[in-house]
Amino acid sequence: MSAIPEPAQRLAPHARWAWRATWSIGCCVALVAIALARDALPAPWETIALALALVALVVGTPLVPELRWRRWRWEVREHEIDLQRGILVVRRTLIPMARVQHVETERGVIGQALGLSTVEIHTAAGSHEIPLLRDGDAGAIRSRIAELARTDTDEIARTDAGEPARMDAGEPAGTDDG
Amino acid sequence: MGSRLHPAAIAVYAVDALRQGAFPLLVILAVSVFGGEFDAQAALRAAGFALMGTVVAALAGAFRWATTRYSFGGGETVRLRTGALSVKEVEIPFARVQAVDVEQGPIQRLFGVYKVEVQTGGGGQGGEVVLGAVDEREVAHLNELLRRGAPDALEAADAPPAPERRLTDRRLALAAATSGQLGVLLPVAAGAAQLGQQLFEDPIEGERTLIGALPEGVLAWVLVAAAVLALAWLLAALGTVVGFGGFAVRRERDELRIRRGLLQRRQATLRVARVRAVRVVESLPRQALGLAALRVEVIGHAKEQAAAQTLFPLLRRDEIEPFLRELLPEMADALDGLAPPPKRALRRYVLPPLAATALLGAAAALALSSPWPLLVAPLGAPYGVLGYRAAGWRLRDGRIAIRSRRLACSTVLAPAAGRESHELAQTALQRRARLADVAVAFGKGTIARIRHLDADDARGLWAAIGPR
Repeated sequence: MSAIPEPAQRLAPHARWAWRATWSIGCCVALVAIALARDALPAPWETIALALALVALVVGTPLVPELRWRRWRWEVREHEIDLQRGILVVRRTLIPMARVQHVETERGVIGQALGLSTVEIHTAAGSHEIPLLRDGDAGAIRSRIAELARTDTDEIARTDAGEPARMDAGEPAGTDDG
Repeated sequence: MGSRLHPAAIAVYAVDALRQGAFPLLVILAVSVFGGEFDAQAALRAAGFALMGTVVAALAGAFRWATTRYSFGGGETVRLRTGALSVKEVEIPFARVQAVDVEQGPIQRLFGVYKVEVQTGGGGQGGEVVLGAVDEREVAHLNELLRRGAPDALEAADAPPAPERRLTDRRLALAAATSGQLGVLLPVAAGAAQLGQQLFEDPIEGERTLIGALPEGVLAWVLVAAAVLALAWLLAALGTVVGFGGFAVRRERDELRIRRGLLQRRQATLRVARVRAVRVVESLPRQALGLAALRVEVIGHAKEQAAAQTLFPLLRRDEIEPFLRELLPEMADALDGLAPPPKRALRRYVLPPLAATALLGAAAALALSSPWPLLVAPLGAPYGVLGYRAAGWRLRDGRIAIRSRRLACSTVLAPAAGRESHELAQTALQRRARLADVAVAFGKGTIARIRHLDADDARGLWAAIGPR
């Protein structure tokens, strides 16, 4: 039962700003919605809902993105992708390279402003994300996963153990400087 | 990176954009033409709108074409990049390409180009990479690259005997009788009950006479619910007979051939290499009789039928392992002898559903101002206990077995190496109690999850499934 080392890479430090933006926008939308629906709610609930949304805005905006960023770790190894994340529920996921069907990077509007992209890894069972990496890193990781997935098929793994280990040295190190 | 699509893609994208905007445009057109009396000016205005729409669509198409690049990466990866404001880049290794669909719609025919959809085993609707317009040379090039990468088909030296199993009529009847899914029936029954109450309540003095009218109301309630349940059961049984009549499965070398259907015969061929897991499903009525259905998780591409999912509609529980050893030895494993979660996990299985049903019952009782919905309140407890009793896991000789229960009890049997991904999860509360969850995904329809294992066991299981 070999212990697998924890993943080492972090997300881009700017990811926190992207999350702060989305979190505070979400809270503001909720506040407006509650204010508009004021008459529909019975007496104490309207105040309670408003207070909750306000607390989420004031306390959550600095706190949640920071915690989330601190928890998020990832690593792309020769034979697997290793993800660890979550504030309340800590999740650790291992995706074998041989199961990667295709890889995408995607950049939304906030990502565009901050120069951040999200890597999406698709398997036959669903997709996984490494969110908010620097554009260049995300592109490099996408290509590297595609390259590793191409060589790491089941057949090769069984018959050809001497596959060159071209890992580690080429690790995109630029994601952690914050 | 890469090359542009054939300029015909501008037209393809423009028509896409137009099609999305067409309906509102048509409405505007219709309203302005037929809204009042016929009015030449309005028609002209509508034509103006349509022209404007076409120009905008053409511009959008040109923009999308100009910001789209693709490449076949020398036969190693298919790449596609689209968008300028929000950029999306897809890479598919050639080894993962399951199918390439080439088609020619009306616009493509006009320009003599082709639409290419590259499919992977991910199996969403439509291809993971769609090239709206490429010329013949590029299609030929892509096919050439695909052929080069494809391994030669394996030829078995001599054909071993092909075992076959058929569903007997008696079993079919039994399968039909036990096919009512409790999960489908309950909401239907609840809805019918509510409807019944509204129907049989005095509409004018409803609230005041409710308590006085209760016995009668409740009786009507129960009658309607029973009728609906019986009808739903009948429909489910009929569906089973029609769908699974004449069911037969046969193993031929590395393929499973499944034939089924009473009115419309269906045939499906599954490559065993694509079967990732077997699921033994024991619904409550079937479990009471010691019966179960066998399902398989198959990795395929979008256009394959989901009908291939049932490996056998009904087996006695003790027949399952021999059945698998004969027809699908790759997945065969014992159903029993699984390790349960620790005793201290029991209350974690019970409390959440109990809280949910209690809340639901209380809320319904308040809303209907009737005590009867409170009967639902304690149901969460037996649900939780059954869930705990069912839960179990085993990892032996590289084979995983994980059992869990929602309404039906489901046991997943599969080689660990066939998983798509696996996950260890721990909530803040579980951390204090040193418990954790493990989930192993074998495909879109099969995620084996076991909750509240001892944290060390969970970590051990997770690591043992581990990299290889």
